[in-house]
Amino acid sequence: MRDHSDSIKQNNWIILMPSGRREQLPQGTSLLDAARQMGVEIESICGGKLTCGKCKVKIETGQFAKHGITSAVSHVTPPTEKEQALLQRMRSEDFRLACQCFVEGDVLAFVPEEARAHKQIIRKSATERVIDVEPAVRKVYVEVEKPALGEHRGDWGRLRDALVSDWQLDHLTIDWMLLRRLQPILRRGDWGVTVTVWQDREVIDVQPGFVEGLYGLAVDIGSTTIAGHLCDLRTGEVVATESMMNPQITYGEDLMSRVSFAMTDAQGLDKMHKAVLKALNTLTGRAVAAAGLKISDIVDVVLVGNTTMTHILLGVNPQELGGAPFALATRDGLNIKARELGMRIHSGAYVFVMPSEAGHVGGDNVAALIAEAPHNQDEQVLLVDVGTNAELVLGNRERLFSASSPTGPAFEGAQIAYGMRAAPGAIERVRIDPETKAAIFKVIGEERWSHEWGAAEFEKPAYLASGICGSGIIEAIAEMFLCGILASDGRFTELQHPRLIVDGRRKKYILATGVETATGEPIFVTQDDVRAIQLAKAALYAGAKLLMRQAKIEQVDRIVLAGAFGSYIDTKYAMVLGLIPNCDLKNVYAVGNAAGDGARIALIDATKRDQAQYLAEWVTYIETAVDPNFQDEFVGAIAIPHATDSFPELKDILPLSAGMNVGEARANGSGRSRRRTRRKNRR
Amino acid sequence: MSDEELEDDEEIILSEMSDEEIIELMFDDLYDGYAEEIEEEVHELLGRSWEPYDVLTKGLVGGMEVVGRDFRDGILFVPEVLMAAKAMKAGMAILRPLLAETGAPKIGTMVIGTVKGDIHDIGKNLVSMMMEGAGFEVVDLGINNDVDKYLSAIDEYNPEILGMSALLTTTMPYMRVVIDALKTKGIRDDITVLVGGAPLNEAFAEDIEADAYCRDAAVAVETAKKFMQIRQQA
Repeated sequence: MRDHSDSIKQNNWIILMPSGRREQLPQGTSLLDAARQMGVEIESICGGKLTCGKCKVKIETGQFAKHGITSAVSHVTPPTEKEQALLQRMRSEDFRLACQCFVEGDVLAFVPEEARAHKQIIRKSATERVIDVEPAVRKVYVEVEKPALGEHRGDWGRLRDALVSDWQLDHLTIDWMLLRRLQPILRRGDWGVTVTVWQDREVIDVQPGFVEGLYGLAVDIGSTTIAGHLCDLRTGEVVATESMMNPQITYGEDLMSRVSFAMTDAQGLDKMHKAVLKALNTLTGRAVAAAGLKISDIVDVVLVGNTTMTHILLGVNPQELGGAPFALATRDGLNIKARELGMRIHSGAYVFVMPSEAGHVGGDNVAALIAEAPHNQDEQVLLVDVGTNAELVLGNRERLFSASSPTGPAFEGAQIAYGMRAAPGAIERVRIDPETKAAIFKVIGEERWSHEWGAAEFEKPAYLASGICGSGIIEAIAEMFLCGILASDGRFTELQHPRLIVDGRRKKYILATGVETATGEPIFVTQDDVRAIQLAKAALYAGAKLLMRQAKIEQVDRIVLAGAFGSYIDTKYAMVLGLIPNCDLKNVYAVGNAAGDGARIALIDATKRDQAQYLAEWVTYIETAVDPNFQDEFVGAIAIPHATDSFPELKDILPLSAGMNVGEARANGSGRSRRRTRRKNRR
Repeated sequence: MSDEELEDDEEIILSEMSDEEIIELMFDDLYDGYAEEIEEEVHELLGRSWEPYDVLTKGLVGGMEVVGRDFRDGILFVPEVLMAAKAMKAGMAILRPLLAETGAPKIGTMVIGTVKGDIHDIGKNLVSMMMEGAGFEVVDLGINNDVDKYLSAIDEYNPEILGMSALLTTTMPYMRVVIDALKTKGIRDDITVLVGGAPLNEAFAEDIEADAYCRDAAVAVETAKKFMQIRQQA
């Protein structure tokens, strides 16, 4: 019945991270050529002459269940002495040069940031918010009694007594590593010292004389991006902001593939744990350098992340999060010595890890709550964080409900035929002329719209289109619907037009013509793309609707879009598509990286950490997948914008045909004649 | 109200229609998901002394084939297919007791369920309904099934086909556990194992030694039928 014989494989899978592009290519192809064919641009100046050393890649080892391949260093030809020598000179022994790796088996390779011809744009920035400055750490100056014969309190005892009498700091302990340095410090300062106290509980530093300066770091560990704010804890000011890609992306783009990597690869957890710590240390180093500080100036850290990121950060295997009932190792916030975790900052400093709400609603969501504070408001607020997993919170001061909806990676450009991440060359804005049905668009990295581009040197765009990112696909599909190319059920209409290509029984729309693209080939929006986006948006919308049912409300007063993606989607198009429920468009807005902001708030105002713990327990988590209404809500939300829900806010925007939606038509019972038309259309 | 007039003009009177016209009407009504109309048409054909088995295969199964084809080709999508499946179920509800009475031949039996740790079931429900639409007896175990639940259902219903579904990368490896248990029990070759779900692909199915990966519900039906044919020839 089954054929298990090994067929001779001429082609091998090549997967390049972090873009996630994959293709089957013949044996003997160099990774550099492969990358070019796959539209992944790798820096190379010498073109394979082994002089520039630009085309560095890392060949990953292990079984990648999500991609269905096993990658190994031995799946490419071994390095020559010349290549080895060059890599050694660059201190890049872990890497290979793509031009020298000829494929002999399935390979998953990571293209590091410096080797990418197009640098990734990371858009997480701190917005201004009013924050009380009440840090967890403070500095106090004391003069300590000198030791004398017949007095046996010890240096620490006398320092402690001084802290009690001058600052009413009772019951203090001292960091034992600090104890090793305490005596010389006291003497160097001639018994006048500046003491750094954490949470009025522990002395974590003593410096000779009077010393100013108090800095902390707040980091949002996203599954794609790690973003950190270095703050002056006395003023609350951000003194440096740094971000970088989460290196774990090599081991899987979405959360579940990382959990899966931790489950299937014996070293998986360790690899990912080390990768994120290394990244945290790199980020810290960059931030202090940018601010002209030293890493030892950082005396407090707040880390937030989704539950999987938090588990991996702590070195806890996230495997229980991989399946129902999605049990967390702990929901509580944690205070850990940075040095125990392996973060290189001040040796006595603590790291606060934000508490989580439920299996898949983590500290990043709690942080977003801290930042947006729906629990302090009367209005019904829907907070949406769109990613591969969308987190939703709905409610007000009375009650808050949260949910997590598996939207999948479509909004990040995956599962889309010409999808890509938000990088230069990605189509991010789309307008389609209702008359001519021709599209104009904007790509990341170029200010002008595509119709303003020209052939002359000064008119050429900085980047030609190379794919479609999440915000671009949302606008494309919404516009296609608005101008009658797509029906409400997501199908291409009967419209005939040169921009519409019929491919068997399927159609596709030319979004960008060959002259507008980097490859010279058109970029299409296919029927399958529309279907993938329909499923993703239906999951999100259904989640929101279930929360509205729980809260017993028909209408939300405000919709807050959090996360990097939320910042770049046009709220009008998000509603036209039916990604979010009806709401006054004036009250739908993006807040950027709310999780990062919440982390920063908790860094500067330590009272928020207790509040975080309270909120994490107070929010009612709804498991949408097992809700008896989920399937109906999900199926209803597949239509654009929705099969039955109305969008009064869009009445001037939506085409008339969308006013009469599928559900109403059926309920009105104009059945048989409608059916006839449809059957005719089908044939 | 020209629409209504049009409808009056076209008023359909089943009793005046030929058998062929009714079958064609059933295809239309399944396609559009009209459950009540399907019930009427099933009753009409039964009233004309049609064998229940013929109503099933020529009417319902035939109509669902059209739905399946258009689903596969991206013309219909999940909501439309669910509506069609509901209409089909309404027809099946009438036929099922009659089929049992008349001892009509069975097309096949399938046990289906989402694997342990996974609580997502919309895709699986779709497969389950489409398989019923193709005339299969379907035993749907729901979500979060461990090896024991699969094995005892196989014991009880003796299906030709086992379907397993997973939405998460982390739960799909459990399919291998079930397949290995079938091998241990020595019944692996007695049953065709079909797997599906968003994170799966052909390579994964091959790796865990399932018989086939099914991209969607339409492909699942086609694949199941193909394996049933191979069985019957064997």
